[in-house]
Amino acid sequence: MTDATLGSSPSAPLVTADGTPLKKSLQRSLRVEKARAFGLVAGPALFLIILFIWPLITLFAKSVDDRLVNDVLPRTMAIYEEWDGETLPEERFFAAMYADLTSAERLQIGKVSTRMNYAKSGWKSLVKKSNKKFKTFDTAGPFMEQMIEADKRWGDVTFWQSLGVMKDRRTAGYYWNALDRTYDSSKNVIMQPENRRVYVMFWQRTLWVSMLVTVSCLILAYPVAYLLATLPLRYSNLLMIAVLMPFWTSLLVRIVAWMIMLQQHGVLNDSLVALGILCDDCRLPLMYNFNGTIIVMTQVLLPFMILPLYSVMRGIPPTYMKAAQNLGATPTRAFIRIYMPQTIPGIGAGVILVFIVAIGYYITPELVGGKDGQMIGNQIAYHLKTSLNWGLASAMGVMLLTAILVLYYVYDKIVGIDNMRLG
Amino acid sequence: MALPIYATTGQKVWHYTYLTICGLVLFFLVAPLIIVIPLSFTSSPFLSFTPEMLSLDPAGFSLEWYKNMVGNCSDRVTTVCSTKWMIGFKNSIIIGIFATLLATTLGTIAALGLSRKHTPGRKALMALLISPMIVPLIITAASLALFSVTIFGVRFDLSASHLGLVLAHTILGLPFVVITVTATLVGFDESLTRASANMGAGPARTFFKVQMPLILPGVISGALFAFITSFDEIVVVIFLGGADQLTLPRQMWAGIRQEISPTILAAATILVIISIVLLTTVELLRRRSERMRGVSPA
Amino acid sequence: MNVTKLLLTAVSAAALSATAAIAADLTVVSWGGAYTASQQKAYGEPWEAASGKSIHWENYNGGLGEVKTQVESGNVTWDIVDLLPDQIRTGCDEGLFVELPDDIFIPAASGASMDDDLMVPRPNKCAAPQIWWSYQAFYQDGTFSGDQPTTIADFFDVAKFPGKRGVHTWANAIIEMALVADGVAIADVYDVMGTEAGVDRAFAKLDTIKDDVVFWSSGAKPLELVSSGEVALSLAYNGRVGGANLNDGAKFVSIWDGQVLEEEWLGVVTGSPNIDAALDFISYATSPKAQADQARWINYGPMRTSALDIIAAGEPWFNTGVGVLEHMPNREEVVARTIVANPDWWADNGDEIQERYKAWMGQ
Repeated sequence: MTDATLGSSPSAPLVTADGTPLKKSLQRSLRVEKARAFGLVAGPALFLIILFIWPLITLFAKSVDDRLVNDVLPRTMAIYEEWDGETLPEERFFAAMYADLTSAERLQIGKVSTRMNYAKSGWKSLVKKSNKKFKTFDTAGPFMEQMIEADKRWGDVTFWQSLGVMKDRRTAGYYWNALDRTYDSSKNVIMQPENRRVYVMFWQRTLWVSMLVTVSCLILAYPVAYLLATLPLRYSNLLMIAVLMPFWTSLLVRIVAWMIMLQQHGVLNDSLVALGILCDDCRLPLMYNFNGTIIVMTQVLLPFMILPLYSVMRGIPPTYMKAAQNLGATPTRAFIRIYMPQTIPGIGAGVILVFIVAIGYYITPELVGGKDGQMIGNQIAYHLKTSLNWGLASAMGVMLLTAILVLYYVYDKIVGIDNMRLG
Repeated sequence: MALPIYATTGQKVWHYTYLTICGLVLFFLVAPLIIVIPLSFTSSPFLSFTPEMLSLDPAGFSLEWYKNMVGNCSDRVTTVCSTKWMIGFKNSIIIGIFATLLATTLGTIAALGLSRKHTPGRKALMALLISPMIVPLIITAASLALFSVTIFGVRFDLSASHLGLVLAHTILGLPFVVITVTATLVGFDESLTRASANMGAGPARTFFKVQMPLILPGVISGALFAFITSFDEIVVVIFLGGADQLTLPRQMWAGIRQEISPTILAAATILVIISIVLLTTVELLRRRSERMRGVSPA
Repeated sequence: MNVTKLLLTAVSAAALSATAAIAADLTVVSWGGAYTASQQKAYGEPWEAASGKSIHWENYNGGLGEVKTQVESGNVTWDIVDLLPDQIRTGCDEGLFVELPDDIFIPAASGASMDDDLMVPRPNKCAAPQIWWSYQAFYQDGTFSGDQPTTIADFFDVAKFPGKRGVHTWANAIIEMALVADGVAIADVYDVMGTEAGVDRAFAKLDTIKDDVVFWSSGAKPLELVSSGEVALSLAYNGRVGGANLNDGAKFVSIWDGQVLEEEWLGVVTGSPNIDAALDFISYATSPKAQADQARWINYGPMRTSALDIIAAGEPWFNTGVGVLEHMPNREEVVARTIVANPDWWADNGDEIQERYKAWMGQ
């Protein structure tokens, strides 16, 4: 016990029982502690990385993937660079195209012609018609005349030029499509023809709907959150059930209920007409349109606004208001000048949370949105399931995800991810 | 928030207006649920209150739609009758249970790791574990539906299989478990684990005998959140599930889009009842957890 | 305690793989509602009784998306699909459906082979005959006082017949109807549609009802929209309207003027695991007797002429005891004002118009 006594030379290092320096021993046990903690989280984290993050990365890969044309038309694309791009290609290009189209699998031809149709309208029908006529061709060649005779579009330079856009194995084309733009034959970005422009409008509408829903939620949630925060706990817990109940109920149930209530001959309109408030022909159009989307989304997202507001308001001591009134402020003035500023973190958290959830919505606008209440999520679903334009669906998905990640970063700055609570 | 005795008339009016507004908003929140229940007992195949129902005439009510749900079909030729509702219910329960078990296990382990004092990269790991909640469901569904790996020529993907759906729902339920269990662990008294270690128990024994009983309410809470997430989930099922993965929400979705009949409302009522039961359980557990940790409602 | 846990995990693993899957020998995919009900009664139940196998009926709203995904991934769960005419053409070209052997088809009572017994020739060898049906406009009796809508032009006339219009979410038929409503002669419709100006004309006519449109994508929805009063007039599949009238006593009024007559075919998906059962089912479903039986439940026209003979001989044929021939979409009285759809045209040129229609829907 001679080395470690207090008051003796401070330069003599402390040691543990087995002789290692204390500092080292502490560091080692800290490393072990960290490794253990990390080891615990590693399993679930790995699960998410493999099954969640990796698919998101492949989604991004799909949004830029353009290997299909190169894979299905290898001979044509191999010599494509040698073409001058101005006059009609020579015989060997036609021969290569013939060889490619006749040797490819039927399923692949369908896919590649669909893809080529995105670049230039008309490829799909051209390939389909040609494939039928190819069966009667003289297989020795020459092919140029035969092909142009089979369908005069083969003699149209613009079709051959459009292949240039699909030459690269990666493309930003889908992202441009998602913004109503496309490539022309020299790979410049141009706007789509006017009767094809929809996506910018969808992005705008998505933002607009989300903003309206957020504002409606804020206006409706504020008084309720205030009530819940200022009531004695016994009553507020009871009322909280009313807030949490819709949160826990299936979305489809709530949507069906709103459909019944708001349709032209639904509960609301029928009651108003029966009471004589509305004439029979002036029923309120509240369902299967923009209004329907707003109303239903507001009701669905209201708890997301109430809960953050409530948790912030509960932490505001009532003494501030009393002090302000003591100093002469009217209750209204005290509320606006003293209370509301203190709720701003809650407002910020609720607004961003509702907005983030709202822009990604799909089910609600699909069922109640009708013609003018659809959002970008519906377009993603359409391209995923029906038109099978997976490139475009992925591109829109990645754009939406990026927007949300940016907003989430802002949310984190205001609230902090660690502070998320659930009721 | 009682009205002080010295309140002026103006203040009184404003106070009652304010209470009315709050009442209306709360009504707005629960109205859909209240409508669904009585309408599920209608005797007409259309989704509106018939005059018989409004006058409380017993002829306006029937259990026809509930019978449809269990396959006891009515004679209306135009509706395709089947046992799909029961199949959907069974599938939802099975997938829900497995997804919940997996999510709860993984989530609790992750929460334990995150709550320790010296976890490296806690913020990043927390963000990772919560991320499925942030990403819109349509994007998650799209990425999982398009995802496939080919190992040694064999193609693995998550589509059209029960296992795939269970894994997908696990991903969706995991954040809820992590959040609830971390919240429960926040007030956890570390000295209990140290005392247990002091008396010779290994880490596993400490966990099961000391920690688990105390955080159990939080764990069950998270498990119920995960279950209800899986049970009500529709978007991922639409894109990932095949014909065999018929869950209750999927059947409801088909019903709403194709053959709208009050059978949907019967299913909806049952879902509402399940939700109420689960919500009450969670609430009771929360109070119990608070009592056990000595945090009394102020 | 540990053994129990092990047992539990083993049991769960087994349960997962044998969960409440729908065990059936054949999956047939169709459009749901009254149509599928008629197929179940006319084809499904007798075939199940005769073969001892079971059929799982699945609903879909059209499109080759799901079939493509299944064939490509190799995981085919749909065996037989009920297809629109342009989709059987596109699908067969792309190898999504198998070419059916000739010997599975039952000849007519007169000895004529199936191909000779059809009203129109099969588009390819993948197609098995189903029905004739039409897109038509309809409304509920009592919606309008005074003048009643009788022509397709009335569907586009919101001034004279106010109220919303129910329209389907794809372009087939409505383009033709718009042109005829705008005054194009029925015989010239497809020529006009082939020109840029013609398509613009059709969309201009569609714009006249743009603000009043409610979209539907499933066959039963128009009935609900009209009966609930959500829309005043809607387009629908004629059999759904007729079925509701004949079976349920509904009071819908069909507008036969300007109806678009379409074919319907069955296809067997490439790579189906139940190919033998599928071919056997097709054989039964395309027999004259089964084709005639379907008309007991829904007023779609059978594709085989010998089936029509069976119905005519047995009138009143409908299951409720009324005649059905007078409700068929391909009968004499309505043929003058019927637009016969041109599925080849749609298969070749449809893509651009569908895209433009989709854009129109969103705007």
